Amino acid sequence: MAIIERPSSEVTTPAVVAPSQALGAIRRPVASKGWREWLFTVDHKKIGIMYGVVAMVFFIVGGVEALLIRLQLALPDGRILSADQYNQMFTMHATTMIFLFAMPMAGAFANYFLPLQIGARDVAFPRLNALSLWLLVIGGIVLNASWFLGGAADGGWFMYAPNSGPVFSPSNGVDFWVLGLQIAGIASLIGSINLIVTVLNMRAPGMTLMKMPVFTWMILVVQFLLVFSLPVITVALVLLMFQRSYGATFFDVSQGADPLLWQHLFWIFGHPEVYVLILPGFGIISEVLPTFSRKPLFGYPFVVFSGASIGLVGFGVWAHHMFAAGLGPVSVAVFSISTMAIAIPTGVKIFNWLLTMWGGKIWYTTAMKFAIGLVVLFTIGGLSGVTHSVAPSDTQQTDTYYIVAHFHYVLFGGMVFGLFSGFYYWWPKVFGKLLNEKLGSWNFWFMVIGMNLTFGPMHILGLQGQPRRMYVWTEARAGEGLFNFGFWNMVSSIGSFVLSIGILFFLINVVITARNGKQAPADPWDARTLEWLATSPPKEHNFDRIPVVHHLDEFFHRKYEEDANTHTMRQIATGEDLIRAEEAAADSDIHLPGPSYWPLVLAIGVGVLGLGVVYGTPVMVFGAAVVLLASFGWVLEPSVPEAIDYASPDGDGHSKEIATHG
Amino acid sequence: MAETATHTDHAADHGHHSSTGLSNNKLAMWLFLGSECLLFGGLISTYMLYRGRVQDGPHPSQIYDIPFTSVSSFVLLMSSLTMVLAVTSAQRNDDNRTNLWLTITALLGATFIGGQVYEFTTFYREGLGFTTSLFSSSFYSLTGFHGVHVSIGVIMLLSTMGIIKRNKITGNKSEVVELVGLYWHFVDIVWIVIFTLIYLIPS
Amino acid sequence: MDTVNNVKSPRRRISTTLAGVTGLLFLAGCATNAPQDTWQAKGPNAQKISDLQWIVFPIAGVVGVLVLALAGYIMFKYRDTGQPIPTQGHGKPTAEIILTIVPALILTVVGVFTFRAIFDLAKTEDTEMIINVTGQQWWWEYDYPVQTELGINTPIISSGQLVMPVGTKVLLRETSRDVIHSYWIPALNGKKDAVPGRIHLLRLEADKPGIFAGQCTEFCGLSHANMRMEAVALSKEDFAKWVAGQQKAYTSPADGTLAKEGETVFLNQCVRCHQVNGLKKADGTPALAAPDENVYSGAAPNLSHLMSRNTFAGAMFDLLRKNCRSDVWDATSEEFGAKYLAGVSESCLNQTDLRAWLRNAPAMKPMYADPTKLTKTGGKYRGMPNLGLTEDDIDKLVAYLLTLK
Repeated sequence: MAIIERPSSEVTTPAVVAPSQALGAIRRPVASKGWREWLFTVDHKKIGIMYGVVAMVFFIVGGVEALLIRLQLALPDGRILSADQYNQMFTMHATTMIFLFAMPMAGAFANYFLPLQIGARDVAFPRLNALSLWLLVIGGIVLNASWFLGGAADGGWFMYAPNSGPVFSPSNGVDFWVLGLQIAGIASLIGSINLIVTVLNMRAPGMTLMKMPVFTWMILVVQFLLVFSLPVITVALVLLMFQRSYGATFFDVSQGADPLLWQHLFWIFGHPEVYVLILPGFGIISEVLPTFSRKPLFGYPFVVFSGASIGLVGFGVWAHHMFAAGLGPVSVAVFSISTMAIAIPTGVKIFNWLLTMWGGKIWYTTAMKFAIGLVVLFTIGGLSGVTHSVAPSDTQQTDTYYIVAHFHYVLFGGMVFGLFSGFYYWWPKVFGKLLNEKLGSWNFWFMVIGMNLTFGPMHILGLQGQPRRMYVWTEARAGEGLFNFGFWNMVSSIGSFVLSIGILFFLINVVITARNGKQAPADPWDARTLEWLATSPPKEHNFDRIPVVHHLDEFFHRKYEEDANTHTMRQIATGEDLIRAEEAAADSDIHLPGPSYWPLVLAIGVGVLGLGVVYGTPVMVFGAAVVLLASFGWVLEPSVPEAIDYASPDGDGHSKEIATHG
Repeated sequence: MAETATHTDHAADHGHHSSTGLSNNKLAMWLFLGSECLLFGGLISTYMLYRGRVQDGPHPSQIYDIPFTSVSSFVLLMSSLTMVLAVTSAQRNDDNRTNLWLTITALLGATFIGGQVYEFTTFYREGLGFTTSLFSSSFYSLTGFHGVHVSIGVIMLLSTMGIIKRNKITGNKSEVVELVGLYWHFVDIVWIVIFTLIYLIPS
Repeated sequence: MDTVNNVKSPRRRISTTLAGVTGLLFLAGCATNAPQDTWQAKGPNAQKISDLQWIVFPIAGVVGVLVLALAGYIMFKYRDTGQPIPTQGHGKPTAEIILTIVPALILTVVGVFTFRAIFDLAKTEDTEMIINVTGQQWWWEYDYPVQTELGINTPIISSGQLVMPVGTKVLLRETSRDVIHSYWIPALNGKKDAVPGRIHLLRLEADKPGIFAGQCTEFCGLSHANMRMEAVALSKEDFAKWVAGQQKAYTSPADGTLAKEGETVFLNQCVRCHQVNGLKKADGTPALAAPDENVYSGAAPNLSHLMSRNTFAGAMFDLLRKNCRSDVWDATSEEFGAKYLAGVSESCLNQTDLRAWLRNAPAMKPMYADPTKLTKTGGKYRGMPNLGLTEDDIDKLVAYLLTLK
């Protein structure tokens, strides 16, 4: 569907209903300004930005929760939070960071850059894209509304049965959690199908799969992981919902249930989810490292295939989260070995990144610093991961702070650093302004030092035997000397505030840049991939003409040529030249999909429907009615508005073509 | 669901390239159905784990009425055939026949749902409530989920028909019918698996 | 094109800090006096794990240091010093293949050792003693089934401290009465979850007499942090004494003592949930506790011989005052047995915590004990409620409990 060439005159479109008539009274929104422009938009770039904003808000929420946790644990027998509050806090910290920050922020990048990187004008299903966003927002609201409606979920993000049952978690927190995650899950599923179709079907001519940017590749792998893992967690959530709200006994041991059923279902989703979180970070730095090393990615096919095989093997390692759960030795051995196996493609990636920089001409921008930070920190996290794959050793480490250290090195050092690298790299593309490099440097150094201060000591705490998820730790078990809990817990807590200052620098940077940031040149980084062939910020239709691709790193190869004699690279054009050339040869007849009310209405309907589980059938019926209405409205609304409803997206520039057509 | 199914792909219609040769809608539908496989996979696994766990109420073997369910399964199977006919008619641009076959398909689907409602009420009367035992909960969850899928399918069939009749279709008509067909066949195939595993293989 | 200032700091600082952190990890193995240190094995099972860790951690450390050093070298060597844009090479397949095979080989070696250890640690046929361990919110019950060769002629039911003989291959049969818990004594073995409806096996063996700390490691609700355990290893002779002590018949306090009045308070208040073997009601019939009627998990700690243990309330609190406690914990392995078997004397009793607990248990340990909030459990408590005892009652009870040797 997407952005299309206007059908030329000989093609008639007889069956298209006039949009203003769709569902009678409600007139379709036309491109407008102000808040409406955002609320009803189907533009992948606006949706991407909104994903980013939403994710950033939840990043701050989750971060505050983390700080409260660290305050509580700074000293023995902490009194900042009660046991109940602490349990809610760590549950919601993990849930928020994973489902409401990491996934949506990766979604923000994917939404914005994936069509640009493959030379498309939008995603395959723009309205579904909007629906994904709004469902995510509704899911996040439902999840967090529980704070004000009797307490948040308190069973940990893994929500092991039977502790998640109605008896053991009597507040409504878990109900909201189950609903919020189901709604966010639907959002992710729709989003992932949308992105897969976009990548597989809408690449610019000449862009074969092996000429695709690595970021796009990693996002593609992630979406496949989501498509096949989300339904499994959905089943688990539905079973839990039936137990909590409708009296079923799926996890009630007194009825003969097996609590390990939940663990298997959860981790069959949960482990691929880990790669869902990390691969986008890998993708981002696989763009940043080559750009600032002025070299193509070393071993592109190996990086791509290792990404794909990480995804594939990622479905076969889930039980390594259950080494202490009482599986037989044979299963433990098998999952132990498969977990070691997954270290190999991961190692391949690290070596390829290092070899990308080898022999390069490295330019240390903030984006590059974060990218290198990822390589270094992820290496540490990856190696501590290998120590867990050794199952007997893992039985000493699992559920201690050593694990907390490991996955924060992987997820914070890996994913978050990747995302921040992406912020600095692509900010000029999205907003046309460069983030301040000086503040960026402060941002980076505070984050990298804070992160190591926070999570480094947790290795020690874990090996000293401090279990996780404890609302207090006690002097009696703290030990003495250099390695006692007291010192390192304090260091970790101080580190978390250093880390927060780093993130504060980023937020300040954003504000300052927005107020009076430097206007970015069209190609500030001498970049390599297609998104830079669009203007900064890109026009609503992305490309003035659909590029034809001949190379991996197409944009770079349009700028540089290898000298046949000296084998050195010679610049033949600047980015500005290329963009001007595209503008001069712009396509006529570009039509964009029109904005629509229905994604928002449908998402709200789904939210109300979900709340019906807690608040009773009438609410549910009302929600269902809204969903049904919105679905029909959606189906009857053509994706591209009739010419009479069409308004120019960007004032001039294309008003000429648009005027010609109506 | 309905949204995806009737979403139109102008890009593919109007000769804009599609790298795989499959239209966006069809590709999306295949992905969605792939995802659904795992959804039913999870529910079927739950049922297989719990089918023997009865502390209260009837056991599976005491309650299943195989001949009855066989008949309703046959009805659902036949609806796949009529769906194929609907798709062929749509491809030949024959609106009347398309609508006829869609109606029959919807009727057969509704008959299956009617059978399921009858089956559920009978079971309930024989003492198998949703919360009676782990077996009953997992049985109703699995077959209920499937029933909801069939019901949504029926709604989709009827809506497609209505839209074709009022000539309000927003895309390639035969493709819309084909998409609904894909979904419908999937739901049928899932039922064959469920029927075999639940009813035919003794626990 | 260079619109952004070239930031030229070669950033080796980062790699040195990080290498430092990695180094510290190894030093963590040398920590002193950390009761839950995972690197100080005190028995053959934990030793097996420790041996494996001494293979894996150094390998990981060396690989880490090499990779980080390489990263540092590259960052410095190839910083932009005005060199021309490099040739656009796309990689060398041979390098890729080598870099795939080398880690694979290293992991194969690790894998072989891992494999052996997994199956060694799962063995059960060499068991010499069985203890049933049952977790519930938020304490562990230890049930010693009849094993005449060890002198256990009637089942012993205890809590707070697991007592076992040294040099004996003990097999724990773990389960739970409510949610999932996990049993972990780092000095003796890795952890194993206690899952309701299932029995999981865990080998334990201690080399020398001593006391080893542990902690529930599967999140189990409000007081997860307070669900601790202590394993006590006694020489075989001392263990026989302990067994005999646990099987000693109940003796009621002498008439007219404060303890005797305490027995009456206990009969009125505590016996609803807490069993004391041999205790008789005023009419001479046995006083049988019925925790299943009052507590959701259906169990409360059996308090027979309470003063032979050093902890109470799920090992959250010590029954011994601080100096008496260190006396036991720091004892040499030769002296340990005698000191432990001495139990809790009146002068060593941690009166403060015990009295506070009796006064208002939920204030001491987060539990679901608010009677107004127990609709979902049908009025049953999870944990000990506030019994509203008077100070007088508490005096009596403490005097009585001190007689439970």
